[in-house]
Amino acid sequence: MESTSLAEQQRVLASDWGGGKSPFGTSWSKFMMWIFIISDALTFAGFLIAYGFMRRVAPAWPVQMEVFSPLLITFMTFVLISSSAVMAMAVSAARAGDAKAATRFLGLTIFGGAIFLGCQAYEWYHFISEGATLTHNPWGVPQFAASFFVITGFHGFHVFSGLTILAIVALRAAMGKYSGEGVENAGLYWHFVDVVWVFVFAFYYLL
Amino acid sequence: MTTHEHAHHGYRQYFLTWMWLLLMTVTALVIGYFHFLPEGVKAALLVGITLAKIFLIGSIFMHLKTERVNLVMLTFSPLLLSIVLYFFTYGETLKNDTHHIDNVSPTFVMPTGEIKEH
Repeated sequence: MESTSLAEQQRVLASDWGGGKSPFGTSWSKFMMWIFIISDALTFAGFLIAYGFMRRVAPAWPVQMEVFSPLLITFMTFVLISSSAVMAMAVSAARAGDAKAATRFLGLTIFGGAIFLGCQAYEWYHFISEGATLTHNPWGVPQFAASFFVITGFHGFHVFSGLTILAIVALRAAMGKYSGEGVENAGLYWHFVDVVWVFVFAFYYLL
Repeated sequence: MTTHEHAHHGYRQYFLTWMWLLLMTVTALVIGYFHFLPEGVKAALLVGITLAKIFLIGSIFMHLKTERVNLVMLTFSPLLLSIVLYFFTYGETLKNDTHHIDNVSPTFVMPTGEIKEH
């Protein structure tokens, strides 16, 4: 990959904003996806800030790794990161015009996402059957279960909608009706779902 | 380079990124699961590892490495805003006791029936 010097970047920046017609240098669809991702990132940032605030004012917080299974969380993280890596390969294949490889990689990505969602459903089922609700839980502070349901629920819904988008993209790729850019935009969304999980994994489960 | 060779070059880079991400995940898990570090160090390391992972996913998987600086700056604005917001509330919670949530006792019952006190 080419690396540009700071002076060169500043020159490009100045020329982009000095009357350039496409300051972000992307197609409209990719730019729209980025705008969506940024607004979605702000939503998740709001959730995580609220969670951080609740953690600070709570008199105590349960030891998360004694409530949730560390093995399951690790496995879920592994699956989501792997599906993200495979998605990146699907974008490469689609851009190189290799529909067969793109479809295969997209299928693997969907497989990983479905496993993740299954694990999350199991985790919710287990947590609820132990007596956790939005307002109560057996481990003390109600905010513990409330933030769990809101944050992982919202993330899980993103995984679900990501799977829907990927299924459509994969079907179209299998029929040969796809563009490298379409696959790339779906990929951006999927990587974003992975990025959010990286934050949830570190801040909700480990910290 | 043909487009196919290009794709294969990409696969190798994605594979290496994947390996790094897994390595960082395991490191974060070890730091988070075994309580052998002081809380402050643990938190700083976990935040550091998370940011490093985000940086890798953003630059390689999401191709920000090859995008214009303008787009990169735009994408990192929510992260900056969150940090600012967090430290607003953080400072306040340290100073002010009136925000405390007092509706529970600081003990919990583990699923095993064991009672924990903090």
